[in-house]
Amino acid sequence: MKSIISLFTGKWAGRSFLSPTVCILLALTIFPFFFSLWLTFSKVSFIGGVNIQFVGLRNWARLFEDERFYNAISNTLIIVFVAVSMEYLLGLGLAILLSNSKIKGRGFFRILYLTPMMLAPIAVGYMGRMMFNFNRGPVNHLLRQVGFPPVEWLTNTQTAIYSIIMMDIWQWTPLMFLILFAGLETIPSGFFEAARVDGASRWQLFRYIIFPLLIPASLAAILIRVLETFKVIDIIYIMTGGGPGISTETMTLFGYSLGLNAFDLVYGSTIAFSLFVIVLVVSIVLLLLTRRFQEQ
Amino acid sequence: MKGAGKERLVLIVTYILLISWAIVVLFPLYWTIITSFKEKLDVFMGPKYLPWIDFEPVLKWWKRLFTVERSEVLPPFKNSINIATVSSFIAMLFGTMAAYALTRFRFKLGRLGNQDILVWIVSQRMMPPIVTLLALFLMFKVVSEKYLLDSWLGMILVYSSFNLPIAVWVMRNFLSQIPISIEEAAMVDGASRFQIFFKIVLPLTLPSLTATFLLCFIFAWNEFLFALILTFSDARTVPILIASQHFQRGPQWWDISALSTLAIAPVIIIALMLQRYLVRGLIPVSK
Repeated sequence: MKSIISLFTGKWAGRSFLSPTVCILLALTIFPFFFSLWLTFSKVSFIGGVNIQFVGLRNWARLFEDERFYNAISNTLIIVFVAVSMEYLLGLGLAILLSNSKIKGRGFFRILYLTPMMLAPIAVGYMGRMMFNFNRGPVNHLLRQVGFPPVEWLTNTQTAIYSIIMMDIWQWTPLMFLILFAGLETIPSGFFEAARVDGASRWQLFRYIIFPLLIPASLAAILIRVLETFKVIDIIYIMTGGGPGISTETMTLFGYSLGLNAFDLVYGSTIAFSLFVIVLVVSIVLLLLTRRFQEQ
Repeated sequence: MKGAGKERLVLIVTYILLISWAIVVLFPLYWTIITSFKEKLDVFMGPKYLPWIDFEPVLKWWKRLFTVERSEVLPPFKNSINIATVSSFIAMLFGTMAAYALTRFRFKLGRLGNQDILVWIVSQRMMPPIVTLLALFLMFKVVSEKYLLDSWLGMILVYSSFNLPIAVWVMRNFLSQIPISIEEAAMVDGASRFQIFFKIVLPLTLPSLTATFLLCFIFAWNEFLFALILTFSDARTVPILIASQHFQRGPQWWDISALSTLAIAPVIIIALMLQRYLVRGLIPVSK
């Protein structure tokens, strides 16, 4: 007969180390995930306890006829595309500038540059509202000083989304910088010296050595930021609340407003699930691209 | 000579660019801090930049934060500290155990191996939280509205699961750098796997454990959407308190700035302690 102790040795030891994590994730992520999928085909009533009834594709049909859904998709895609590409370019530029070993105070710059991504996005949202305030904000003050007319950053349907994107760039360029800077550190310095001896220019050094070697780190950084940006809600919730009108409403905000504010849980879940499908497709495309680069 | 001159120009331009971005990073922080020391009139009279020159700093908003008049302020801080501490501890402990299992044992689930299990765990974090959150809200309501909704227990549970993937990922990177020979020696001496884990591995990885704990703490401290959906009054966290400010009395920038400063100060302190480990923990070292 096996003693209790033997359960914790050999093959079973590994399983018992892994099981708390697996159990928590099964209960609090995987189960709700399938529950949510089921909700998208149901209706819920709270009369006499919670009642869940199957209604087929009704919620999905409603979603595809909802103009607010297409508006939220296009806002989300604009934010993801513009913010992530700007963050990548800025992060790459800063990482390369700071990798110059002749710069003094590199440690100081590095810590400083990483700060924004540590801060609560809610606080960053308020910073954005103060910065872009029409009458009293420093951004418009600066514009007036250099002779431009002030801009209605947060109250104009055309510019509000770009104010949000700027705050997102402020907060998340650090993550791009962090990953790319770490990637640069792993390139042996011998590479640069050899290229220098061969008379390569700075541009050639970047184009033919640094950039190709940074491709794996770049793809990882972009994938992480794309997935994270698809979820964006907090900065927007504070800066515009999705407005003016619904001009800055993203998928998560749309799902939240209908799911919990309007207390239409099944429709909220349907919106959320459509976001999941979009994120899944985008990440598969990005992973396939990564694989293709690795094969080359 | 010409080469040296060009070299210097490059250096000067680099400094200008680096300092410009430093100003971009610092300015919103600076603005938030000085706004918390401004009189209402100094906020409304358009942008004022320099304390003692543009405006006379006052301490009254900071004093007011801790008075009865603003008794709604302290409970969320207490909630956030407790929820973030306990959930980060759970994530750290279970995450480390899972990371240990994935680096020291070989798993086989059909064709799936360790790498697939790791990807499965980490991918949980990639999913947009809104996908599970509404279902989770309904689940909590059905299972036990009293104990799980708007409660520490419910929030600790969801934040533990939310931080577990990060903890597993970071600890796996740290653990795979530790040589196995010490553990093998202990095994030869007859120590069980559990003894090895608690008496050898945990003490050895104490700095990484601390880093993981603090990283989870920051994520839990800053998290907004889970708290927005799963708390309403008793268990409200700091981000919810701050977010609710402008709905209550219109934007009172001085109060919001003082609160925001109070909310981001601990994180900045933690980040300064953490920065050495951050790069090493988040990005796997290729061997």
